[in-house]
Amino acid sequence: MTVDLSTAFGRLRLKNPIGTASGTFGYGLEFAHYLDLAALGAISVKGLSFRPCHGNPPPRICETDAGMLNAIGLQNVGVDAFLAEKLPELARLGATVIANVWGDTEDDYVAVVERIGSDRRVAAIEVNVSCPNVVKGGMIFGNNPEALAALVKRIRAATGHPLVVKLSPNVTDIVACAHAAVDAGADALSLINTLVGLAIDLERREPKIGFTTGGLSGPAIRPVALRMVWEVRKAIPKIPIFGMGGIETVEHVVEFLIAGANAVQIGTANFRDPSLASRLVGELAAWCEDHGVARVSDLVDTLRTRPRPDHEFA
Amino acid sequence: MAVNESLRVLRTIHYDEHHYSLFVSAGTIGPKTKPGHFAMIQAGEGFRPYLRRAFSIADVTKVAGVPALEFVVKIVGVGTAALARFAEGTPLPVLGPLGVPFPIDDLLPSDRVALVAGGIGLAPLVLLARTLAARGIAADLFYGGRNENDVLKRADFERFLGPHRCRYATDDGSLGRRGRVTELFTNALAGGVRYRRVYACGPVAMFRALAELLAEAKLEGSFAMESEMACGFGVCLGCVVPMVDGRFATICKEGPCVSPAQIDWARL
Ligand SMILES: Cc1cc2nc3c(=O)[nH]c(=O)nc-3n(C[C@H](O)[C@H](O)[C@H](O)COP(=O)(O)OP(=O)(O)OC[C@H]3O[C@@H](n4cnc5c(N)ncnc54)[C@H](O)[C@@H]3O)c2cc1C
Ligand SMILES: Cc1cc2nc3c(=O)[nH]c(=O)nc-3n(C[C@H](O)[C@H](O)[C@H](O)COP(=O)(O)O)c2cc1C
Ligand code: FES
Repeated sequence: MTVDLSTAFGRLRLKNPIGTASGTFGYGLEFAHYLDLAALGAISVKGLSFRPCHGNPPPRICETDAGMLNAIGLQNVGVDAFLAEKLPELARLGATVIANVWGDTEDDYVAVVERIGSDRRVAAIEVNVSCPNVVKGGMIFGNNPEALAALVKRIRAATGHPLVVKLSPNVTDIVACAHAAVDAGADALSLINTLVGLAIDLERREPKIGFTTGGLSGPAIRPVALRMVWEVRKAIPKIPIFGMGGIETVEHVVEFLIAGANAVQIGTANFRDPSLASRLVGELAAWCEDHGVARVSDLVDTLRTRPRPDHEFA
Repeated sequence: MAVNESLRVLRTIHYDEHHYSLFVSAGTIGPKTKPGHFAMIQAGEGFRPYLRRAFSIADVTKVAGVPALEFVVKIVGVGTAALARFAEGTPLPVLGPLGVPFPIDDLLPSDRVALVAGGIGLAPLVLLARTLAARGIAADLFYGGRNENDVLKRADFERFLGPHRCRYATDDGSLGRRGRVTELFTNALAGGVRYRRVYACGPVAMFRALAELLAEAKLEGSFAMESEMACGFGVCLGCVVPMVDGRFATICKEGPCVSPAQIDWARL
């Protein structure tokens, strides 16, 4: 049996549902030595801003149980340097590139997107409205459905590229944010970004991260990510979803597909093993074959839930 | 280019309850390693330690005739404790060699250099001492620790550099001079020795003091720096230090060996 891994993702057709997550995959080129970029469904590059950004002062990271906190502060080379110095090589290597973008203001976001213009070497734009590690922008849009809708409307008007909005998990109602983004013109959603956390150095009574709080990623967040993918899938049956959060094995990939993601992105696990993402492509085909699944898309949104009972007081 | 490979544990030598040498098969990393390079090691499949840990490749050597990498490790937490307990033959995922090594290609046989180590900072200087010795370049070692147990692999340094070129300092005076390693080094400079370059690795306090000394004496330095690392190959941007030009530079990719003149010590 040959398994069909191809994945319809809105207007995009991905070779397979395995992508890599922004901020954990550099500009992709750093990984070219460890895996075949063209073998991945998509790669999302480090969040790009209009001007280059230095990021936050160190310390920026610390390990936590089953994961890590980071407050990088979106250090990046800027969209112009990306287009001039990174994108040509990514295109030459056959990578399906998703440009992850961010800004402090609506105008900043629009400026980045306009710079990318209609460049066909970029397959899609992923808008990060959910970075917890910058003082301005980011989270302000991610936490407030009205601000989010206004931002997405403006970006939608500025680009013809497929538009993926990456939602923040640091909200009470992820479905409200998903609706706001989709109603404003998002073609697809990515969830989840990191969860805001705090780690403390006991002896110094100081936060371990210079920014005080940081974004939690890794296996620790996987149950939260799965729940959010599932909630959004139930609420918006047709929207393409990239699921992510703590994926390390082929079983984790399948869990996300069953919960309702059409494709996934591998994040923090790339740090542990730089060749992991491409290996998962092969393992996914093998898993499907072992389980009699002919098309990987047949797995999507197949969670069988039991009806939830009403309270029963004794 | 770094490789990601599985290397076998060959032997672990425990110096005391806090320090050990871990020898693993050299794989294809061994022949590529230069002094100052480091590797990222996965200490087990569990969730703590979760990320790989960074270690200087202290030496490229042999264990019972088998080509080996040596890591000299100080136990400071879960990862360094876990790594001490692997049985012979255990496969360990190792990514390396990584980073910018010490600049040595421009040295001439007539040059004299200094090696300054604090505590576990000896690690990257072992292979450096071996390499300099092989090239016939004279090197003086200044090595300090809290006590005698902190000053490791003295026999190797003395074999490579000559015992007369190895000087020690300890906080409690249990070995060598009582005091700081930077005081030893200052005394040597006061004696009129000129060093072509000063290679150093140690705690931040030592780096700070030494950077000041080198700036005053107008001596060139190369420091093997540390920082918490998630990836080790330039993609997480977690391991940065502030530079004098206002940027943050990754220690894993632009370092670990950097010129102290480029670091913004006031912001570090
Ligand atoms: C390029 C490089 C080379 C290194 N070479 C060596 C070496 O040859 N021998 C050796 O013993 N150690 C070396 N280190 C330090 C080593 O990586 C840390 O001691 C190790 O990661 C700590 O892991 P842990 O799980 O034991 O400690 P954790 O439980 O994670 O932390 C314990 C303490 O160590 C600190 N720490 C954690 N990671 C680092 C780090 N990367 N650098 C400095 N402090 C850290 C934490 O802040 C904490 O205070 C090197 C570090 C770098 C970046
Ligand atoms: C070090 C680091 C940097 C990140 N930078 C970005 C970023 O620039 N833009 C973005 O949208 N997400 C960023 N993320 C979030 C990841 O893309 C991903 O959403 C999150 O880490 C959850 O997945 P994981 O648990 O598999 O890592 C970053 C995550 C980490 C760990
Ligand atoms: S450790 Fe990830 S960039 Fe240096």
